[in-house]
Amino acid sequence: MIYYDLNLKGSTYQNDYNLIKQANQLGWNYLNLLYSPDDYFNALDYKDKLVEDSYDISQNTTEIGMGIYIYDSNPNEIRKITNKFRNKADFISVFGGKNEINRVVLENRHIDVLSRPYYRRNDCGINHVLSKEALKNQVAIELSFRDVLTNFLSYRSKVLSHFRDIIQLQRKFKFPLIISTSSEDVFDIRSPRDIASFFRQLGLSDDELENVFYTTPKSIVDFNEHRREYIFEGVKIVKKEDKVD
Amino acid sequence: MKMKVLPPTLRKNNRYLTLDIRTKEPFSKDDLVLVVWDACIRLYGEMETSNFNLWIMRTYVLDDRNDCLHMKAILRCQRSYEDKVRSALCCITKFNGKEIAISTIGLSGTISSSIEKFI
Repeated sequence: MIYYDLNLKGSTYQNDYNLIKQANQLGWNYLNLLYSPDDYFNALDYKDKLVEDSYDISQNTTEIGMGIYIYDSNPNEIRKITNKFRNKADFISVFGGKNEINRVVLENRHIDVLSRPYYRRNDCGINHVLSKEALKNQVAIELSFRDVLTNFLSYRSKVLSHFRDIIQLQRKFKFPLIISTSSEDVFDIRSPRDIASFFRQLGLSDDELENVFYTTPKSIVDFNEHRREYIFEGVKIVKKEDKVD
Repeated sequence: MKMKVLPPTLRKNNRYLTLDIRTKEPFSKDDLVLVVWDACIRLYGEMETSNFNLWIMRTYVLDDRNDCLHMKAILRCQRSYEDKVRSALCCITKFNGKEIAISTIGLSGTISSSIEKFI
């Protein structure tokens, strides 16, 4: 199986390089480094070097992408930052948690991923209404394995319970769901098969695991490559050379 | 008098997990035993962990990295509980204040094949 991780926290060149090296050894096939909007352009400066250097270390070929994460408590700010960066960044992820944020993000089709809608909540942060919005606007909901690692005892069991609730809603409403590691350094990252076996214990079947690790993330990445060609819902610019007779 | 060894059909079937261990501070084999048991008991409880039949068979200290201390180990567990053991091990982050990360990099039916393939 091919494993995509769409959420690695990027910081400095050296840290990113170590993270990619470790992830590559563990068997990840696609890595997406996320930066804050302020750091994103600095990261783009060393992206080519990072990709070149990662080719030297790769045992299996790992592709690398970059994007931004938005962490703001004001829904209007999120909308503004999204509009500003949509044409500049390949990937936009927003940290959820608050009701208003979850709602605004899932209603905005310019955003790719709502990360951790259950963060610091007593429930999973998603209901049937938001599930339908996520499906309609094709905004993926992300479960972060880092939340399992950083919480212990009763808090960890609450996080697992939220995961189960979101998985249950996903089975009914079929919105896009992804799993990521949200790693910041080499101590956070785990092998994809370990994470797959962890989520198998939570009740995900093999087909569902393939969807969360490969099919859904790949469709997001592929769609973002051609996003500029989709000028309106249902309308796509086709180049002359792409036209099939 | 020494007890007679069970016939192969009555023995438990084992699988051997090869572990990749990254730590910031030196980590002994005794610590590793404790951390593996602690992780399994925390995630699955005493009743379920009793089925796992855990035993650290080998440990190897490697000197190939600058950013952390690197070890590899071979852990025995009972057949059909591999998924549970590896999911418990991947949840470990700290032990006695020492930062630690464990990933399972291989699964074999014998110790020799796990050494040959993954160490």
